[in-house]
Amino acid sequence: MARPAVDEATLIAKYGPHLNRRPPGGWDADLEIDRVVETHCCFCGQQCGIKLKVHDNEVVGFEPWYEFPFNEGKLCPKGVKRYLQGSHPDRLLTPMERDETAPGGFRKVSWDHALDRVVSEIRRIQGTYGDDAFAMLSGVSLTNEKSYLIGKFARLALHTANLDYNGRYCMVSAGAGNKKALGMDRASNPWSDIPLADVVWIAGSNVAETFPITTSYIWRARDRGARLIVQDPRVVPLARTADLFLPVRPGSDSALFGAVLHELIRNDWLDHEFIEAHTVGFEEAAATVAEMTPAWASEICGVPAARIAEAAEWWGTSATGMMLHARGIEQQTKGVDNVVSAINLGLATGKFGKPGCGVSTITGQGNGQGGREHGHKCDQLPGNRDISNPEHREYVASVWGCDESDIPGKGLPALALIEAIHRGEIKGLLSICFNPAVSSPDVNFTAEALDRLEFYATIDFFLSESGHHADIVLPGSLHEEDEGTSTSGEGRIIKINAAVDPPGEARRDWEILLDIATRLGKGKWFPYSNTKEIFEELCRASAGGLADYAGATWERIEAEHGLFWPVPEPGHPGTPRLYEGGRFAHPDGRARFSAVPWRESAEVIDDDYPVWLTTGRVVSQYLSGTQTRRIEPLVAQYPEPLCEIHPRLAQELGITEGDIVRVESRRGDITLPAKVVNTIRPDTVFIPYHWPGTKAANQLTIRAVDPVSNMPEFKVAAVRVTRVGTRSAVTIDRRDMDVTDGLR
Amino acid sequence: MTRARSLDRRGVTWGLIAVAVFLALTFFGSDRLVWFDAALVGYLFGTLFAVFGIIYRYAVWLRRPPTMMLNRRGWDAFRANAGRNLVALPSLVATQLLAQGFIRRRSTARWIAHQLVFWGCILAALVTFPLTMGLLHFESVGQQGDRYRVFLSRFGTIDFDAESIFGWLMFHALDVAAVLVLGGVFIFLRRRLRDPGALAVERSGDFLALAGLFAVSVTGLFLTVSSLWLDGRFYSALNTLHALTVVLGLMYIPFGKLFHIFQRPGNLGVAYYKAANEQGPAATCRRCGEPFASAQQIADLQTVLPQVGFDYGIDGGGNYQDTCPRCRRASVTLAQSVRVGGFG
Amino acid sequence: MRPPRYGVDDSPIFVIDQSRCIGCEACVQACEECGTHRGRSMIHLDRIDRAATTQTAPMICMHCEDPTCAQVCPADAIKQTEGGVVQSALKPRCIGCSNCVLACPFGVPKYVAEFDQMMKCDMCQDRTAEGYAPMCASVCPSEALWYGTVDEFTERRRGTLLDAWLFGRQQVRTKVFTVVDDVSPGPLDALSTGTGTWLDDPFGLEEGT
Repeated sequence: MARPAVDEATLIAKYGPHLNRRPPGGWDADLEIDRVVETHCCFCGQQCGIKLKVHDNEVVGFEPWYEFPFNEGKLCPKGVKRYLQGSHPDRLLTPMERDETAPGGFRKVSWDHALDRVVSEIRRIQGTYGDDAFAMLSGVSLTNEKSYLIGKFARLALHTANLDYNGRYCMVSAGAGNKKALGMDRASNPWSDIPLADVVWIAGSNVAETFPITTSYIWRARDRGARLIVQDPRVVPLARTADLFLPVRPGSDSALFGAVLHELIRNDWLDHEFIEAHTVGFEEAAATVAEMTPAWASEICGVPAARIAEAAEWWGTSATGMMLHARGIEQQTKGVDNVVSAINLGLATGKFGKPGCGVSTITGQGNGQGGREHGHKCDQLPGNRDISNPEHREYVASVWGCDESDIPGKGLPALALIEAIHRGEIKGLLSICFNPAVSSPDVNFTAEALDRLEFYATIDFFLSESGHHADIVLPGSLHEEDEGTSTSGEGRIIKINAAVDPPGEARRDWEILLDIATRLGKGKWFPYSNTKEIFEELCRASAGGLADYAGATWERIEAEHGLFWPVPEPGHPGTPRLYEGGRFAHPDGRARFSAVPWRESAEVIDDDYPVWLTTGRVVSQYLSGTQTRRIEPLVAQYPEPLCEIHPRLAQELGITEGDIVRVESRRGDITLPAKVVNTIRPDTVFIPYHWPGTKAANQLTIRAVDPVSNMPEFKVAAVRVTRVGTRSAVTIDRRDMDVTDGLR
Repeated sequence: MTRARSLDRRGVTWGLIAVAVFLALTFFGSDRLVWFDAALVGYLFGTLFAVFGIIYRYAVWLRRPPTMMLNRRGWDAFRANAGRNLVALPSLVATQLLAQGFIRRRSTARWIAHQLVFWGCILAALVTFPLTMGLLHFESVGQQGDRYRVFLSRFGTIDFDAESIFGWLMFHALDVAAVLVLGGVFIFLRRRLRDPGALAVERSGDFLALAGLFAVSVTGLFLTVSSLWLDGRFYSALNTLHALTVVLGLMYIPFGKLFHIFQRPGNLGVAYYKAANEQGPAATCRRCGEPFASAQQIADLQTVLPQVGFDYGIDGGGNYQDTCPRCRRASVTLAQSVRVGGFG
Repeated sequence: MRPPRYGVDDSPIFVIDQSRCIGCEACVQACEECGTHRGRSMIHLDRIDRAATTQTAPMICMHCEDPTCAQVCPADAIKQTEGGVVQSALKPRCIGCSNCVLACPFGVPKYVAEFDQMMKCDMCQDRTAEGYAPMCASVCPSEALWYGTVDEFTERRRGTLLDAWLFGRQQVRTKVFTVVDDVSPGPLDALSTGTGTWLDDPFGLEEGT
């Protein structure tokens, strides 16, 4: 029974989000600092270094970590205020069980009771409906050690095929595109290559808000004279200063890339030697773009043809160039198409494996890179191995000490898994660090699905909106309460250090999983006494795989400020830049051009739903907001979702700044204030997605996925917009009101 | 910043007048020096120096253009509605000058410390200065040796019993003051030593003021210790030491941090000025057209600015000072962006 | 790599390049973590005209050589350190008149009604005294706020450092530098306005397709 036990207002009143405003003890506490712990920010794939100040087992502040080379002390507002997630009034401190009679819908129970209940429900459901009827969903805010452990736990302890992770909503299109075109899935370059590029092309990434520190790398390139191209439906903050802006309409990126390749070929801005020596498939790709002229693409993308031609010229004639792309082109039903057509541009001009050259994704989630390598994807085993490949299965079974046949096969990807729950095929769920009630497309459907579970247990540190549905809540650990490694967007393995111990009865995530495994009688496969042992097994399991950590040790990672994988053997220096000398990761060493014919997104605008919708993030919030919606200074920066709309469209619809508008799609609707701005395409509206319930942008998004990566289409939907009324209080950002002497 | 290079003549004049008035007060107040205690002459000279210095500095301070303007406007505002302002005065004094809520809102510890020092100093001043000037003395009355009468100049006022609590307080008022001050000084010191932020904005004067208060209080308490428990041993040496610290302290007042005692009441003038300005028209920003401050204050500033050497006038008319602070920040940013490639 | 700490002889400078601001507010959030004004952010970050642009205006104290704020202070409460840092009003002296708030050409001081006192950016004195960068310049992701030596600046960045400003007829020199493209720049005139670029028509609505 996984329907919330009490109404939402009661749950929120009891479990938050409440707002943490000040450090423990208040601003004037003058606390003595017991120790300062070098670790990393938990918000986003850049994994900036940060020092946390600790007093009496509480994180009470931060200090910039100037020596960490990636960010040299820099932080975005989330990093600055990350310390406020600790010592939080909403922190889950005891195991809880769903109870309609208890205030808040949950009663406190002992660990024994909670774990016994979890184990008995797993046994009951798997006994009644089959092993795969109990699924697990996990998240990539978790360390490499936990990712690895969860992959092994689901396969060997739960013995279910149905394990997937929330990177399915984030990184999988890039991963699949990279694997298809280049043979492996990692950013092609360390960020130190960005300043060496003569042209920097940002495709579908609001760098300033989602990867703020990357901005400084781009400026270092520009300080050397590089030109900046930004491709986005909005004039995002970085675009404001760009040399060339490609205002692409949502869902049309592959047409634009096709036209650029067309121009490169037409003008012979190609690196023939490179194409000849290091790639296959150029002819087919060229044939596919033969008719894709800038004028043709301009009709589809709404980017002036001259700008497309100019972008092609800059890219084609520059000695070096870096293209960085992110969710804008990836979270589409054509995500993989978009990624491989971007890679085509790098291959055609020989921009791989050289300083200042590369086409690279910017990984989104905290451990979005490491989390997609160690086997908690539905089709993956450690070392980025393939769960369907007999040799890979054999190898991993040998490391795990089990039979190959003990490892289940490929399971359902996240959204399909939720749909299987909705259909009643999956009856039980264990989730950790995943909040699909906010982050899934078509969230109303997701909530219905969670309601239909016979049993749902969740491990988390705050009660997320998905947790509202849980039968058992197990209090796990925050980022700063456990140690391990993660792998940043650059492919740099870094060390996460514990600053404090889990508070109350909360336990470290891995300890909880080990306890469940033991109670399921599978303890023999999980003989770890600390996370370092898990890491060492992870390294062995990854050896010889694509994501090879075999030579990495915690000591080296700390001493060298991170280590770029592949690190195939001890003493190996790591591999900051991939594909040097044009050696790609496919067995033949060659990269693959991809022929990408033009197709439309799953849903296109029509008379009923005449406006494009695209969704995204704001700088002060992170993903589903479970953490950042609880930190007052971050909430104050952008308290609620706003609908960005161009004045031309607003005028047509009779909307003025601050009016309340309803945005409807075929899935649902949302009512929210309008933000009338010149900085968005006149045929498109934008809504950030960090909020739950009636404020969830994902009420509107479509449950359509990329055929290869299974990535849902968060970035494109058809909507209609109507004015509902005038807003009573127009104060949206109180600092706008702070004219001469405001208080903070 | 401007620094006075030589003595200001008008300041000297006012200072000397003040000294003369003070001496006259002493002379007549002590009933033509009958009740003047010659042992306290050192204190008298210290006080005279302080009076001269304070009045001198006050006079110089009041003649700075912005101070003069505010002084005038404050009195204007007061007189414009004298009746109501007079009625409002006690509560203003109580909240702004005595209760000092603005410090409490900054930090309770700081407020407690400041209140302790504040009331300690007031108490000490109320005892010391009348004693020094011979305005105040005690005489035993009747046959019993423990009954005393308080005299103000030559006029007897109340009687009290030396053994009573009141009597104890009368004779130990300075000890009480010293304990209060020391308590405050210790809280201040602790804060300064523990809080790196406070330490960083530390000015040498801050420490000197605390050291001075400490020295005066401790040497004063030693006198009591000596007479009560040491049968007066070391008394004369301690007395000299105490006198020295007090005299040095008095001489420090006009120059150091403690001068704020005399500046801070200007806050009352500001309160009247602001209240009057709120009744008047608002200045609107030349860039955004929004009201942003009192027109009177903006006009006053534009009178004062040229007097202190600034010319924010715009060629072709207008004054940059008619821009609201927010638009000033925006103007600077936009102008800079134009000079680096024209991003807007 | 930039050193975490600077020595006295390095004479690090503060540079603000407003054009690079991405409006993320990391500076605003970090400012209140500074020891000299904990819990209270002294930096300004304004959206200039969000309807038209994402341009934001960050403003720290520029630390004028001859600070207008100090000159118009009736209480003589605003002091400069020997290093030229203009400090918050001295707490005992400030009488809360707001003259400084209204007269500062950069719009920097804040009148804090709660304390009846002016407070302003003091370049994180607790940090700079120890050789560390101020909080805002430590965290700024785009290096719009930057702290380091002149050599580091020239090695890493393009543009000319400028410390002279013009407000109407008033010239002001500051301790904090800004950056301009010109090779031999005159003072930066706050009242100058810009010419357009593609930003006048970002979506090519007038350009045709």
